[in-house]
Amino acid sequence: MQDCVSVIDDDALVLRSLGRLLRSAGFAVRTFPSAQEFLAGERADAGCVVIDLSMPGVGGLELQSALARSRDPRPVVFISGRGDIASSVAAMKAGAVDFLVKPFDEQTLLAAVRSAVEKDRTARMAREESTSIGRRVAALTPREREVLARVVDGKLNKQIAAELGTAEKTVKVHRARMMRKMGVDSLAGLVRAWTAIRHTDADPAP
Amino acid sequence: MDSHPSYGRGPRPLTAGRLSLPWLGPMEPGWVAPVLLVAVGYYLAARLGFAFTLQPHPISTLWPPNALLLAALLLAPTRIWWLLLAAALPAHLLAELQSGVPTAMVLAWYASNCSEALIGAALVRSLVPGPLRLHSFRNAGIFLLCCVLAAPLLSSFLDAALVKLIGWGHGDYLELVRMRVFSNALAELTVAPLILTWAALGMTGLRKAPRLRYLEAGLLFAGLLAASLLVFDLALFDANTAPALFYAPVPFLLWAAVRLGPAGTASALALMVVATIWGAVHGLGPFTGGTPQDTARDMQLFLIAVSVPMLLLAVALEERTRSVRVAREQRLQLTHLSRVAMLGQLSGGIAHELNQPLTAILSNAQAAQRFLANRDVDLEELGEILRDIIAADQRAGEVIRRLRALFKRGETQYQPLDANELVGEVLGIVHGDLVMRGVEVVLESAAALPPVEGDRVELQQVMLNLVVNACEAMAGAAPGGRQLTIRTRADEDGVQISFADQGPGFQAEQYHEMFQPFYTTKAQGLGLGLSISRSIVLAHGGRLWGSATPGQGASFHIFLPAQRAG
Repeated sequence: MQDCVSVIDDDALVLRSLGRLLRSAGFAVRTFPSAQEFLAGERADAGCVVIDLSMPGVGGLELQSALARSRDPRPVVFISGRGDIASSVAAMKAGAVDFLVKPFDEQTLLAAVRSAVEKDRTARMAREESTSIGRRVAALTPREREVLARVVDGKLNKQIAAELGTAEKTVKVHRARMMRKMGVDSLAGLVRAWTAIRHTDADPAP
Repeated sequence: MDSHPSYGRGPRPLTAGRLSLPWLGPMEPGWVAPVLLVAVGYYLAARLGFAFTLQPHPISTLWPPNALLLAALLLAPTRIWWLLLAAALPAHLLAELQSGVPTAMVLAWYASNCSEALIGAALVRSLVPGPLRLHSFRNAGIFLLCCVLAAPLLSSFLDAALVKLIGWGHGDYLELVRMRVFSNALAELTVAPLILTWAALGMTGLRKAPRLRYLEAGLLFAGLLAASLLVFDLALFDANTAPALFYAPVPFLLWAAVRLGPAGTASALALMVVATIWGAVHGLGPFTGGTPQDTARDMQLFLIAVSVPMLLLAVALEERTRSVRVAREQRLQLTHLSRVAMLGQLSGGIAHELNQPLTAILSNAQAAQRFLANRDVDLEELGEILRDIIAADQRAGEVIRRLRALFKRGETQYQPLDANELVGEVLGIVHGDLVMRGVEVVLESAAALPPVEGDRVELQQVMLNLVVNACEAMAGAAPGGRQLTIRTRADEDGVQISFADQGPGFQAEQYHEMFQPFYTTKAQGLGLGLSISRSIVLAHGGRLWGSATPGQGASFHIFLPAQRAG
């Protein structure tokens, strides 16, 4: 998926100029004259969104929260014709990457957009990783999951065998198969993967 | 009794106008010109006084030197009065000693002439500090009481006593007093206002007068001269003439009083006085036939009776014109002040309006620069970039042009205006504010409205005020509920423009207070908006009113009468 910057501004002249500037810096750009059109024509792009704070109809802050609730959240860079403290605080609290006051220099905008795109890439990778770990957990047998849960709790094979009412040797076999299926070769790697899915919405098996 | 057989010319009023200027400035080197002018003026005025002497019994009808001296004192700072009085002495001696009057009498008259000027000037100065200006009814009244009544009356007792003492004059003491009072009062009434008003007017006042005013003054003086010559100076009428004819010059005097102000009126009066006396001195016109004493008395009383009301009328009209002008000037100032204050409130939105095109220009130019640096030049795109830069620049220029018109303080200029166009311009000015406040405007304009007659900037100010009020009324509303509906429609014989908001509205008891000055519900408001808006609309012959349903918003309506055809 290619990184794409979506720009939303009700002022046609500003919208076109920002589109050109971002394209000249090598970004793929999509421009929208209003929040409504952006929400209607949205594709699950990678990248970030540049939003004008004051727009008639659905305003910038409302669009930001709508975007955060969507199934494909992306980092937001705000641009505004006035440096009003209340709205910039609201925007930053809601997770905006930056808040730029017009007129701004290209370096300012490009730096903000780059860092937003970077943030999106990191977040996307984290999401993908947790999705794949989730998939691997789902492939485990019930017994292997029981072993997994006890291994990350720091229990020894002997203790696990006692808890599960089985031989230590059998636990060793389950454990080795579980480690292979999870794609990790150390206890540390296993704990990392486990923690990653704990912190995402991906469905970790019990 | 002043009886001085000799001829001369009176002081030129324009000289007096110029002469007054250095006196008003900081002193010392400035005393030379006034002293010289007083000396020369006094001499010429004395010669004129001699010319206006009835024969065979030398009776003076108009004695201007004292009045000239008095006017000079009234214009000069008190500390140089002694210089001016001293300057009159050589002129007095030069004029009087030619006429064979005993030296003692000449010196005595100098003393009594100075006493008249001093009495009048001191009385006036005690009531009106600074140079006397005949620009108010009060000042004119003080001038008449002190200079036309008190000064000649009081000094005449001294004069007649000196005449009696030296034994130069004939006749009864009181008769001497009476003759001298009339002669000097008429001179004060004729010469002093002439000097005072022209000094106040000055050359700049003359230059500022429109060309048409000169034409009017020319016509007036030609008519007045013709009427005066006809009645007083030609052999057409004599002492048996119907008294009504005396009043032939009066319409011209009234004309001067109404149209030309105190200076024009004083000049017209002087012209009539000179023409009347000239006729009487030459035995022409209605003031002939009796003894010189009677002739002089009748003529003086007639001239005084005409001059006093004319002068007062001119001054009263001038005062009223000035107060109307001052009131209009203050209204303009206040209107401008509240407009500037309102633009201050809009400054955030205006900055937004300028930032948009500036952003577009900068980003377009920097994009083009990058395309060029990357050797990735699409000529078509480059053309679009330049087109957009030009459009953005023009937009910024338009914002500034509109603002400049509103910031400027100018005279009210009426012109035919289209109400829809005005609304469009106003929305252009507040666009940034509307966007920032999240206010959506619904425009319902009627097509083909009749043009209204008005001042573009003032009417924009009224509408701006109503739009800003509406926005502020809706500041507390939910983002979706901030709709401002602007409607224009032709109504009766005019145009009605309505501004309806979705704010909380207002209570009936608030309604009348809203239009009072300094009533405000805003933290930063001056409270002048609605009261000034209403006075602007009233001055346009229209109405401004409001209506509200509490909880459902307020509406304000402007009615402006349609421009009259032709």
